[in-house]
Amino acid sequence: MSAITASPASTGPPPAAAPRRHLPFHGDALSRLGLLLLIGFLLVAVFGAWLPLGDPEAVNAGPRLAAPSGRLWAGTDSLGRSVLPRLVEGIRTTFLLAGTAVMVTAAVSVLLGMMAAYYRGLVAELITRGADVLFAFPALLLAILLAAIVGPGAPGALISIVLICSPLMVRVVRAASLSVVDRDFVVAARVGGAGPGRILLVHLLPNIAGPAVVQATYALSVGMLLESGLSFLGLGLQPPSASLGSLVHEGAVYLPIAPWLVLIPGTLLTLAIMAVNLVGDGLRDALDVRGVEVRR
Amino acid sequence: MAPSGGLRYFAGRLVTGAVTLWVVSVLVFSAVHLVPGGYPDIVLGPASSPQVREALRAEFGLDRPLVLQYLEWVRHVLTGDLGTSLGTGEPVSAQLMRRLPVTAELAGLSLALTVLAGVPLALLAGLSRGRFGRGLSRLVGSSAMSVPDFVLGSLLVFLFSRFSLGLPVGGYVPLAEDPVANLRSMALPALTLSVFGLALVVRTGRDAVAATFSSPHIAAALARGERIGQVTRHHVLRNAAIPVLTVLATYAGYLMGGAVIVENLFSLPGVAQAVLNAINGRDYATVQGLVLVAAAVFIAINLLADFAYGVVDPRIRAGHRG
Amino acid sequence: MSAETGSAAPVLAATDLVIEYSTRNGPIRSLDQATLTVGSGQIVALVGESGSGKSTLGMATGRLLASNAVYAGGLLSVAGRPVYGPGAQGGEGLRALRREVLAFVFQNPVAALNPTMRIRRQMELAGPAGREARDGSSAAEALGEVGLTDVPRVLRSYPHELSGGMAQRVGIAMALRRRPRLLIADEPTAAVDATLRAQILNLLVSQCRDQGCALLLLTHDLHAVAQHTEQIAVMYGGRMVEHGPTAEVLGRPMHPYTRALVAALPGEERPGRRLEAIGGVPPVLHAGCPGCAFAPRCPDALPNCRDVRPADAAVAGRTLTCHLHPGEIGDPSAAPNDAGRPRATEAGRRHLDKEQEAAR
Repeated sequence: MSAITASPASTGPPPAAAPRRHLPFHGDALSRLGLLLLIGFLLVAVFGAWLPLGDPEAVNAGPRLAAPSGRLWAGTDSLGRSVLPRLVEGIRTTFLLAGTAVMVTAAVSVLLGMMAAYYRGLVAELITRGADVLFAFPALLLAILLAAIVGPGAPGALISIVLICSPLMVRVVRAASLSVVDRDFVVAARVGGAGPGRILLVHLLPNIAGPAVVQATYALSVGMLLESGLSFLGLGLQPPSASLGSLVHEGAVYLPIAPWLVLIPGTLLTLAIMAVNLVGDGLRDALDVRGVEVRR
Repeated sequence: MAPSGGLRYFAGRLVTGAVTLWVVSVLVFSAVHLVPGGYPDIVLGPASSPQVREALRAEFGLDRPLVLQYLEWVRHVLTGDLGTSLGTGEPVSAQLMRRLPVTAELAGLSLALTVLAGVPLALLAGLSRGRFGRGLSRLVGSSAMSVPDFVLGSLLVFLFSRFSLGLPVGGYVPLAEDPVANLRSMALPALTLSVFGLALVVRTGRDAVAATFSSPHIAAALARGERIGQVTRHHVLRNAAIPVLTVLATYAGYLMGGAVIVENLFSLPGVAQAVLNAINGRDYATVQGLVLVAAAVFIAINLLADFAYGVVDPRIRAGHRG
Repeated sequence: MSAETGSAAPVLAATDLVIEYSTRNGPIRSLDQATLTVGSGQIVALVGESGSGKSTLGMATGRLLASNAVYAGGLLSVAGRPVYGPGAQGGEGLRALRREVLAFVFQNPVAALNPTMRIRRQMELAGPAGREARDGSSAAEALGEVGLTDVPRVLRSYPHELSGGMAQRVGIAMALRRRPRLLIADEPTAAVDATLRAQILNLLVSQCRDQGCALLLLTHDLHAVAQHTEQIAVMYGGRMVEHGPTAEVLGRPMHPYTRALVAALPGEERPGRRLEAIGGVPPVLHAGCPGCAFAPRCPDALPNCRDVRPADAAVAGRTLTCHLHPGEIGDPSAAPNDAGRPRATEAGRRHLDKEQEAAR
């Protein structure tokens, strides 16, 4: 097929009905909104540090616990630090931490999931049972336990997210791989002498990419939720670094007198997670992936 | 064939649950005992003399092989002895019994709210066809799925304490003392926890109803001239219930984590709060006891859900699926 | 069309029926002025490739089309009661029609049964109106009539515990429980084990004959058609191209498309020849086809085939719609044939009622 289209003989008129390039998430306004929001957040996360918003660490940028105003858009915290640059830092940390965790999750689970489908027997059994056992821990409880063992901070949060998001992703990848692994082209590759590594990477991976990407998107929102939940409990990021969750934690004491300290980062966090979820929904529909759950 | 297949299904689930619980117990025990600064270090204290350390080792059985320590712990757990708090010296099981009603009530109320409001809403959403309605319900649903419980809880705390909207914020009243005041004090925490469950049930239920309606046997029923109401009652509800049951089990897992946050936020003296306190106080005896119980409850809930959809869907019993 | 007189009217009468599906890429025309009549008690085959519109016509008889189906003209009535066109009823009238006159047998018999309900209960629900209560004995009788052995076990079973053949027998029993006057069977043996196909088809036809119920059999299987049916209608591009007694049409196919179908039959003079040998694929129509829909694939197409719609003509005991056979009577020239008919494209479109949307 490709040989024919590549041959000079077929360079006739261009294909008459060239499919029009659609914008992403055609006909799905809500997912487009989510994508727009997500891009906005990511731009802030990446370039926010260069915006002239002031020093997030500088105390006495204004009076303590000042309400949002024309000069200090998001008000000040209990030390008189301007909240706006801290919000920007919080957005960056939240996305960076959850994003890193999800990349690790994706790498680990894609490999394990494909292996569980490719190797039957003991390997598959160990991987699926392992996922089952991790499933038996309620998510936040596992994260708290880990924080207790590893100590509060970014590493504990990262490990928690990986351990909590991996089981579901392993299952999704394995299920997708199982439907591919017996197809003729894989069998043909195996008969042709391709090794396991080649088969997994060249033949399985492209076929499970859709479900994996969708699942990774949902894992990102779970990761953001977990990190912020841990930070809210004081078991996540420790000061002076800030994530959106730890900002809510810091502000919680002042909720009655300075509600913006909680409500602004809380709203931003909700919007960020919603953006990721909406993009996940859009991807799921666009890639026609079924049976992927959102979080547990 | 059917009864034995069903029996095998249920027995298989039971065995899987038991094995999972065993592995969880090993993991929790090793985590608490092997990590530097874990249980033994806390028991022995940082600065005690070698003689004192030896005496303590012998007293707590820490001089024996870890496997034997583990078996000893399991033996105690099986007789209902979850260990003794390193902080207060109170038996962990006593603390559990004291605090369990609070958490159970919180979880029960949240679940009830989720099911009683979620199932009719899901049905309504699944049957409705309007484009606008669908878009709106998706927007509301996405927000409800995405708002972290501590953000929602904080918002409720702020609104209800600032504007005195008729419900108390914090200040737990035991059920036995004053049932009405108890319910009022539980309303906001339960509401906070049920919003995610509601979104989950409505979203899943709506999709399940819609998917069931597009299946051939519904077309066949309509082709026989059955009314929409009849078709819904006879053919849709049961088939659409299966995914909803699955997410309810998911929601139960979420409840256990959410309880930590909500009990913390609304100062409820529940089990989840105790776990958090124990971790902050490095009270590893309490941690391992309570975490094991939590995992056991979660596994039991998942088993119940497995049984429930074995009952609802005969194909699962016969092993035709999953 | 004179309504009311149920017995005198044909059980199914479709005239110039136009149905389109609205899709993201614009409308797809599935029925393009389809015309078909099924007399009371007749066994009629409707054949055509997938995409020819035969399933749409089958489901349209009960207004059971997908929610994106749009009625765009023409008439369809069942036992004298209008289903599409002036006076068509929705709601209770439509349901009464489905309950009392029509019955359907589906392609995938297991999927057409509720997976979470035992057969006994499903038979009861499909039973005669007003007798939804326990009538286990008559349900058992009905299952016995369709040749099922071990009826008590079948009654206790869930659909997934039945084989495809058993499930289709249950489907036939359910369909015939209310003594319908017209049974639509859409590829009823496609999902059944090959060795049982003949049995199932025999059963379907003999049960219909016994009850005096008309049968519209939608199928690819020309052998079955030849064996069982009295009339055959060949459909292409949403339109009938040849319609007449089965023996005549299959014995001496006249429309080039019918000829290709018959030639593609295994065991005919050119073994191994397939329908694809005609070249090209069935059309996807976005609007009414100006000429003959088959013209682009037709080996014998005349210059006017693509632009001028052929008229229905009575030829050799059948109705034929082809410029090659302009008919024994009527004008053989290429004059526009349907000047007198209401152009379907101009007819008011309206969306189907809510209940049908819910059906899909």
